[in-house]
Amino acid sequence: MRKTLIILLAALALGMALLVGAFYCARYVCVQRIALSTDDLDWLRLEFNLGDAELARIRTLHEGYLPLCAENCALIAAKKSELAQALAAGTNTTATLEQLRADVAALRAKCQSEMLAHFEEVSRAMPAAQGRRYFAEMKRLTLGAHEQAERSMSGTNHEAHGHH
Amino acid sequence: MKTSNQDPADGKLGSLLRESRPTPGLPPRFQENVWRRIEHDNHTAPALNWVEALAALVLKPRFAFATVAVLLLAGGLLGSLDGTAQARRAAQDRYLEAVAINASH
Repeated sequence: MRKTLIILLAALALGMALLVGAFYCARYVCVQRIALSTDDLDWLRLEFNLGDAELARIRTLHEGYLPLCAENCALIAAKKSELAQALAAGTNTTATLEQLRADVAALRAKCQSEMLAHFEEVSRAMPAAQGRRYFAEMKRLTLGAHEQAERSMSGTNHEAHGHH
Repeated sequence: MKTSNQDPADGKLGSLLRESRPTPGLPPRFQENVWRRIEHDNHTAPALNWVEALAALVLKPRFAFATVAVLLLAGGLLGSLDGTAQARRAAQDRYLEAVAINASH
C-alpha cells in the first residue's frame, strides 16, 4: 500500500514538473521571439491584423509623425525647465510664472491635439472596424489616465475626498 | 511404501512428542474477532483496489507516454498563450512610448 502511494505521488510530481516546465519553456520562447523585434509597429500588426500594404501606409504616417512628436517633447521639456528655474529663483513676478504655466499648458494641448490627429490619420489607414477600435484604444491609453485623474479630482468622486 | 517400512518405535515416539506439547486453547471471543476482521477487510478492500488499480495504470507504458504527451502539449499551449500576451503588452508599450510619450508629460 505504501509503495503504491509512493509510486502515485512520484507520478503526480513528475506530471506537475512536466506541465510547469513545458509552460515556462514555451512562454520563454514566445517572449524571446517577439522581444527580439525592435519595430515600433509590431503591436499594430499583431493587434489589428494588418497586412503589408496597410502597415506600409501606417509606417509612412508614423515616420512622419515622430519628428513632430520629438519637437513637441523638446519644447515642453524646455518650457518646464524654464518654469522650474523661475520657481527656484523666487524673484519672478506672479504674472511671469502664470505666463510660463500657461505656455506649458498650451504646448501640452498642442501636443495632445497633434497626437490625436495622428491617431485619426492612422485609424483611417486601417480597415474601418479595426480603425475604430484602434482610435478608441489609443484614446483610452493616452487620455484615459488623465481623465481618470480629473474624475477623481472633480465632483464625481466627492466621497473619496470626504465630502458627504 | 515408506510408511510401511517405518519403524513402529517412530510412531510411538511421534505420539509421545505430540503429547509433550500441549495445544494452547483459543483466546476469548476468537471467532467473533475473526468475523470482525473479515468484515473490516471487506470494507477497506475497494479503496485499496482503487489505489492499486490507478498505480497499475500509471505504470503502463502506453498510458505513461500518453500522459506525458498531453502534459507537454497543455503546458506548451498555455505557455505560448501567456508568452504571446506578455510579448503583445511589451510591443504595445513600445508603440506607446514612440507615439504618445507626451501623454506622460
